[in-house]
Order: sequence, then C-alpha cells, then structure tokens
Amino acid sequence: MASATLTVERSVARAPSRAVSKAFDGAHRFLVPVLILVVWQALDSFGWINARLMPSPIRVAEAFWQLLVTGQLLGNLWISLVRVAVGLGIGVFLGIAFGLFAGLSRFGENTVDSTLQMVRTLPHLALIPLFILWFGIGETPKIALIALGSVFPVYLNLFAGIRAVDRKVIEAATTLDLTRAEIIWNVILPGALPSFLVGLRYAVGIAWLTLVVAEQVNANSGIGYLVMNARDFLETDVIFVGLIIYAILGLTTDQMVRAIERRALAWRPTFTDAQQPNRRAA
Amino acid sequence: MMTALQSHTPVLDEPRVTRGEAAVSIRGLTRSFGGPNILDDLDLELEAGSFTALLGRSGSGKSTLLRTLAGLDTAPAGTVSVPDRRAVVFQEPRLLPWKKVWRNVSLGLRRGDARARASAALSELGLSHRLDAWPLTLSGGEAQRVALARALVREPKLMLLDEPFAALDALTRLRMQALVGKLWQMHDLTVLLVTHDVDEALLLADRAVVLIDGRIGADVAIPLDRPRHHGDPEFIRLRQQLLGTLGIDENGLDGGG
Repeated sequence: MASATLTVERSVARAPSRAVSKAFDGAHRFLVPVLILVVWQALDSFGWINARLMPSPIRVAEAFWQLLVTGQLLGNLWISLVRVAVGLGIGVFLGIAFGLFAGLSRFGENTVDSTLQMVRTLPHLALIPLFILWFGIGETPKIALIALGSVFPVYLNLFAGIRAVDRKVIEAATTLDLTRAEIIWNVILPGALPSFLVGLRYAVGIAWLTLVVAEQVNANSGIGYLVMNARDFLETDVIFVGLIIYAILGLTTDQMVRAIERRALAWRPTFTDAQQPNRRAA
Repeated sequence: MMTALQSHTPVLDEPRVTRGEAAVSIRGLTRSFGGPNILDDLDLELEAGSFTALLGRSGSGKSTLLRTLAGLDTAPAGTVSVPDRRAVVFQEPRLLPWKKVWRNVSLGLRRGDARARASAALSELGLSHRLDAWPLTLSGGEAQRVALARALVREPKLMLLDEPFAALDALTRLRMQALVGKLWQMHDLTVLLVTHDVDEALLLADRAVVLIDGRIGADVAIPLDRPRHHGDPEFIRLRQQLLGTLGIDENGLDGGG
C-alpha cells in the first residue's frame, strides 16, 4: 500500500515537468526545419543562389497563393486525389481478395500465390508504355497503374499476417466449439490486422509514387501535369509548390492509416501504455 | 484476492465421494505419429466428479492423451467416450489479445446474456474489476485466471488442465492450485490435471495416474484429508512412491526425463 501511494505522489509531482519537457521536445524537433527555411531565404535574398532555379520560400508561398486563388491548384489536386482514391481502392480490394483466398486455404494459395509472386517481381512502373498503348492516355492507364502497384503490399502482408496467427490460439478457440467461420472472424482476421495495416501503409506510399510518375509521363490535368507544365515555362516556384503538395498528401494519408491503426490496435500495449502508463503495473 | 470464493458454498474438507459412473472412458487407445506408439493400447476410466492427476516424464504421451480427450487430436472411433461439455486450460492462457477480458470469456457462448455470464465467472475468480481490460495488460496469474473463467463459464462436465501452473511464479502457483481445488469442490466437475509436479498432484488430486511410454505405469489412489500438508507422513510416503514410479529418487537423482 505504501509503495502504491508513493508512486502516485511521484507521478503527480513529475507531471508538470514532463509536460514542459514534452513541449520542449516538440519545439526542438521543429528547430532544424525552421533554420533551413531561414538560411534558404537568406541565400536568395542576398542573391547568393540563382533565384530562377531555386526560388525563395517567400516566392514559393506567393506561387502557392496564386495557384490557389486562380483555382488551378484545387482543381488539379481534386483530379489527382480521385485517381489515387480509385486506383488505391481497386488495388486494396484486390489485395484483400487475393490475400484472403490464398491465406485461408491451401487451394487458394496454390491457385494464386505463384502467379502473384511472379508478377510482383516486375517493377510496375515499367508497364507505363504498354498501358499507354493498351488504354490510351486517359484516366484508365493511370488508375490501372496505381491499382497494380498497391495490390502487392496488401496481398503479401495480409497473406503473411493470416499465416502468422498463433496456432495455439486457434487451437484454444477450437476447444471453445467455435465454427470455422467464427474462428476466421474472431481469431484469424483480427490476428492478421496489424500486418494488413502495414501493407496498407506501403500501398498508400506506392500509390502516390505511381501517381507522380503516371501524371508526368502523360497527362493534361492533375498535380503532375501542373509541375510538368511549369517546367516548360521555367516556373520553378510552381514546381516547388507541386513537391510540397505531394509531401503534404503523402504525410496526410500516412497519418490517416496510423490513426486507423491506433483505433484498431488499441489492444496492443505499445498503444495503451502511452495513454495509461500505469495499467501494466496492476 | 481470492475472497470472492468465500461467499459461495462452504468448502468441503473431506475427499468428495464420487458417484461411481464414468465421465471418461478410454478403451484400447493407440496413437502414433509415424514412429513408435505415443499411446499404446491405453485403457483409462475417470469417475464422474473425480480429480485425477496425470503424471509422466516428457514424451510419455500425457499431452497426446489430453489433446485426444479435448478433441484436438482425432481418436479411432469407439475408443474414447467423453462428455460433450468439455473445457481446456493450457499452460499459456491463450487469450485473444484483441478482445477485452469479458469477450474472451464469453467467446462461443450461444445462450443467455454473454456479458452477465462472463462477469459471474470472472467474479468467481476474483477478477470482476478486470472485465473491460485488454489481456496484454494482465499479469501472468490474472491471465491464467481469465483462462480458467473462460473454461468455467461453459459449465463443463470435464475440465482438462494441461500444466496450467507451470509458467507461473511460485507464489502465484500456490494460489492458483488452491483456487482450482476450490473450483472443483464447488462445481460438478471431473478434472484431469496433466502435470510434471508430484507435489501438485498430491495437493489436489484424489488419484494419480502415471503414464510410462504410452501405457499406465502406476495408478495410485490419494486418500488424504483436505486441506493437505506437505509434512504429512502419508503425503511424504506417496511422494516417494510416485517419484519412484517416475524413476527419480527424492534428491532428484537419476532423472534424465
């Protein structure tokens, strides 16, 4: 009992200093990026670098504002978002379908795994010329390419996740008289979820990467088109805006998947501990 | 910690009188996995309501026997007769980490208010405050008590315990042994406890069956009064007898198992 009161007192006493150090940590992490911006702006302002090739942060911000008010940015952003959403949706759906089929049955594994493993070794971006010949230069080749790129991380991780579920836990569930469907729903799928979510994060990253390449090879709309167009007119500031948009999009979608992880994997101590640090002690 | 138990029916202090009918009946069970027979023409009956300890060295076939009784290994038709309502507790708790404690306990229940039944079983094991906890936040002893609750909530006729205390620390193990003894006395249960530990068998069981090379090497009644004490001369005598059957003297020499 005495030790319990002691720990409580200590944690109360430490709480404010912990908050301060956390705030300091947060500020510390932003220090270097801010410094880089300042130095970059200074270099431009003093004319030490060619402003045509390397626009200053302020000029990039101005270009961003221009693109925003003329509506170019949001229109093209929307088109790019739709491409990724549709392509990723198809890819993830197929990845889940193949992953479940191969993961849950030997028959399924023998049917699809060897083929998928072979196609996987092909860099999907190498198919661009072929896709242009097959599907033209419209939306289809871009969406197909994004879908193709995102199928494999989902498939591989879901398949591995299903197969890695602890045999012993499945056995215990069998002794509780669960049907096969109930075991799949209650044991195997939740057990494979962490691995699936890792695959999903990879898929999201690949989807953006594929979008960049696909839009730069041939497009008359989208962020990639904006960037290639800017190259033709030597608008480096617009190119920078495009790069920043890509970074923000990638970061945002990754954070979305992580938010899903935090919710869906709340049972893992790594997540619960952060919220309730003293739970394990009991 | 285990106070919840004391609010129930008084605990019997004498060996429970069993009813004579067999809850488990095994006739001529032979099992092999390609090599020598793991179980070799085994005959065994467990009286309804009895508490039997199954002892044996590693590889003696005791785990195979328990798995067969649990329905995890299929037995040749006609050799094994067990109650439909069975429950197993393994050495590890084997909980589903992604389900809260009460959902682990109620998993597979098809009738009635699942949460209420899980809650009742967990209260009986002194875990009513852990209903909504995640399994990975439990201590080893708590997790194993959840596994016991998960077995009990099914109101089994036959409870199969596969070295359920082997992975616990010494103090927790003593508590868990007492707990299992009480659960057996309060419920209409036939218990088969697989263990390495002769003392554990003598503390809990009223019969010890020693498996040697897939056959019954010894079948010893344990007619000791409860609660039992390690210092009791009869306890010591039975201990030496069982260790002798297992091929080890009391100093642990000539072990090798």
